[in-house]
Amino acid sequence: MIRFEIGIVDTRNVLKAILDAYGYDFKDYALTSLKRRIELFVANEGLRDIDTLISRLQQGKDYFERFLQSITPETTEMFRDPSLWRNLRDHILPDITKGTTRPKIWLAGFDSGEQLYSLAIILKEMNLLTEVQLYASYISDFTLEKIKNGTADIKQLEVNEANYSRLEGKGSFSDYYKTANGTVTLDNQLIQGVNFVKQTPAFDQGPGGVKMVLFRNQTIYFNQLLTDRSVNAMYNALVPGGYLVLGIKESLENTNSNNKFTVVNESEQIYKKKTL
Amino acid sequence: MYKAVIIGGSAGSFQVITRILHSLPPTFPLPVLLSLHRLKHVRSGFVEALSIKSGIPVVEPFDKDQIKPGRAYLAPANYHMFIELGNKIALSTEEPVNHSRPSIDLSFVTAAQVYRDKLVGIILSGANRDGAYGLKKVKDLGGLTIVQDPLECQVKTMTEASMKLTKVDHVYSTNEIIKFLQSIK
Repeated sequence: MIRFEIGIVDTRNVLKAILDAYGYDFKDYALTSLKRRIELFVANEGLRDIDTLISRLQQGKDYFERFLQSITPETTEMFRDPSLWRNLRDHILPDITKGTTRPKIWLAGFDSGEQLYSLAIILKEMNLLTEVQLYASYISDFTLEKIKNGTADIKQLEVNEANYSRLEGKGSFSDYYKTANGTVTLDNQLIQGVNFVKQTPAFDQGPGGVKMVLFRNQTIYFNQLLTDRSVNAMYNALVPGGYLVLGIKESLENTNSNNKFTVVNESEQIYKKKTL
Repeated sequence: MYKAVIIGGSAGSFQVITRILHSLPPTFPLPVLLSLHRLKHVRSGFVEALSIKSGIPVVEPFDKDQIKPGRAYLAPANYHMFIELGNKIALSTEEPVNHSRPSIDLSFVTAAQVYRDKLVGIILSGANRDGAYGLKKVKDLGGLTIVQDPLECQVKTMTEASMKLTKVDHVYSTNEIIKFLQSIK
């Protein structure tokens, strides 16, 4: 348990410094988790206080990028919720690839690679990896580099293996990574065709004409305003009949877009954009 | 005068929780927040098992659900459960804390920050130290702190760790916890 604690005023001061220096606006992030992420960063960096953090952030873009990487929570596990991935494989992906040439799929969340590699593995096992156009959002340049290199956390290997086996994949999870000197490297051939999109907290940079958006466990870090705005951006990116996939504990009922979608699968939080 | 009850438990706490929930009247005036260690990959079954004998509805909340009195909110598997200003649930997939997600510490700390001296924090049987720091924050911010009597706990690591870190207000048996909760009007 971290012992460094900051107040709401401190948190707001950090956010203001970031906005002034880099134009990144985090004011609509959920306060509790954002405050906690900043506390963790300060503790891990061994900083004395918030003023030290603020002055370091103002001094260099590299430091800011590292901060960005640290405060956007990582998913930390591949195939999180295996039943959702099974559902995508058995129902949704066959549906969106049927009769459409190279449909677009957008991973709109700030993923640290786990979701992208999970999806790529499933598509590969379905022989569909080159039959779709994958778009993946990222927020920090450091995270992008990590994704492109296929760097994975060795401590998560056991969880990833277990999730893969619950997914009932075609092969073995070990087909997709190598270990050397205590590090795990995922096969980055899997993501060669991916279009990476530098995303801002405003979600205004995504592709259009999308058949499926994965936006899982993202709005949990947003306040109501940004939740509504981001889900609306997903709505606009989707073609009518396109799928929106939220995290299993995120409900459209808690947004202002509920009447624009129909529920496809309630327990997995899969929705379909209504055809007007 | 209280606004919420938060309960943390791990190994050996299931039956205690079941008894507590069973004893609560449908008119119980507060929300009950449950941060319990559970199997991360088993999504269903737990809330149903707790609901069977509960006197109040038990739900696994969605993110941003409004917290209402007379309901129990069970932290979902593989998520941290925070209490957010505005009396709402906030969930998180951040890394486990003390190998736990949900982390009892995080639920307690965030609840303490929102409810302050209007919070009752209860730590039950458990096999690790998660919850001890959270209970300390409840106490520091003026809330009422209760631990299940370690003599009665199936596993007493959690309650003893809590008592070591905090001068708790009450050490109660399950029956005494129930009597206390039933006295809240």
